[in-house]
Amino acid sequence: MNIPVGIEVVDSTLFSSVDPVVLAGSMCEACGAHVFPAMDSCPTCSSLDVTKVSLPTEGTVWSWTTQHFAPKPPFRTDEFAPFSIGYVDLGPVIVEGWLVGKTEWTIGEQVSLVLAKAWTHEGAPVFTFGFEAVT
Amino acid sequence: MSVNANDIFIVGAARTEFGRFDGEDNELAETAVRGALADCGLVWSDIEFAVGGTNGETKPDNLVSRLGLTGLPFVTVKNGCATGAVALMTARNGLIAEDLNVACVVGYDNHARGAFNVSPARYGLGDWYGATGMMVTTSYFALKIARYLHEHGISQRTLGYASAKAFDYAQEHPYAWRRKPVSVDEAMDADMINDPLTRFMFCAPDAGAVSLVLARGSKAYDLCETPIRLASVALRGRRPGSFEVFSPWLSPGDRTSPSIDAAKAAFDLAGMTPADVQVAQLQDTDSGAEVIHLGETGLLAHGEQEAAYRNGEFEIDGRLPLNTDGGLLANGEPVGASGLRQVHEIVRQLQGRADGKQVPGAPRIGFTHVYGAPGISACTVLISEGAQ
Repeated sequence: MNIPVGIEVVDSTLFSSVDPVVLAGSMCEACGAHVFPAMDSCPTCSSLDVTKVSLPTEGTVWSWTTQHFAPKPPFRTDEFAPFSIGYVDLGPVIVEGWLVGKTEWTIGEQVSLVLAKAWTHEGAPVFTFGFEAVT
Repeated sequence: MSVNANDIFIVGAARTEFGRFDGEDNELAETAVRGALADCGLVWSDIEFAVGGTNGETKPDNLVSRLGLTGLPFVTVKNGCATGAVALMTARNGLIAEDLNVACVVGYDNHARGAFNVSPARYGLGDWYGATGMMVTTSYFALKIARYLHEHGISQRTLGYASAKAFDYAQEHPYAWRRKPVSVDEAMDADMINDPLTRFMFCAPDAGAVSLVLARGSKAYDLCETPIRLASVALRGRRPGSFEVFSPWLSPGDRTSPSIDAAKAAFDLAGMTPADVQVAQLQDTDSGAEVIHLGETGLLAHGEQEAAYRNGEFEIDGRLPLNTDGGLLANGEPVGASGLRQVHEIVRQLQGRADGKQVPGAPRIGFTHVYGAPGISACTVLISEGAQ
């Protein structure tokens, strides 16, 4: 995968592309189940015949919460502020991730995938994936 | 009354007070075991088979160094929140398989303050999952109940009813940890932890121990005036479509749950239905979990929870007295002990000697349900056959 110079991500195996941002999952050739992050076996039917796939980048909020206290380590942050986490229905799979840009959400709301700054490491930002509201 | 020699009965039960404990884990466990033995007039050397469960670092099978080196087989189990129920199931199976008469079960833990801190690697997840703040149990409970309330048109205030009920029961229970009453408004207005769940809607890890003595039907009435029959115990794991803690993804489509499967199996094995239950214990790690588990176990139709709380159906004189010792919300969760606490409370209720509020009308049929990571549930049906 091509990661642009100067962009560091929390785990490169989560992405099939960083610019534009696309998540990498896997699809079972036997039963069609999609999972994220990619696995080398299928937890639904136990098949080993799985293929890495790019996941859709737009979906709807399936559930959400806002985290009002700082999680214990290994959580990393520059400075804690309440943040939202949600499950986003991407169609073939529902993915858990940050919901960025606000802390009040509505189930069913349209969102799209973005890169979001997670923390600073040696002066440089480290990014994870998140979803922001489609305006 | 005829007793089937192959039926398994609970003849002795004891628990410690739950809360903070400064001593050794094994002291807690020993206190519970000696209490359960005293409850049925036995001594440790009478026990032929033992099972101990803890989620901590101590070795339950080493309790023999305090209780007596009798040479008995002592099995250790560790299944997260289902540990107590699995210990009970293992003891039952041991009595039947080994053709023994008397077994002892003990579950205990003594956890550090604050939410559990779990390593992503233990769940097969990458470091990124913890580093980005998703390895958090409270957010999981919040995400699960938020979706459930949405799907079934249940108000957030229902979560306040569940909390207020728990603390109302606990204020009269001598072994509960949090015995101060909390009103529905106080529960709703408390600090938000994870929307929609406030501080009074979560249980906390703490310390405690519970022990039971089990006996075959041929011995049960010699040891106890009103032994309680373990009519069934069933353990189930997750299937595709379940919504479990620490899940970076969920499958779309119909939701399944190990609680649905374990409850159905337990009722089927006992020849009972949810409508037969007269007193129940459900896993209420948070208020939302109790609301969800009412539906998943079949005790109530999905969506009927709000009206049932409002109508007082889960109160001591209601249709289905629920978590009558205050549940996890008021007792906290010493993981290894929690499932056995449920059984202890039901046994006491069916024997008519509840430690706290007693269900009126001599209930005969009880039900317990535990649920936890990584997607397992265990249920029991407990029946009083009365005194012989």
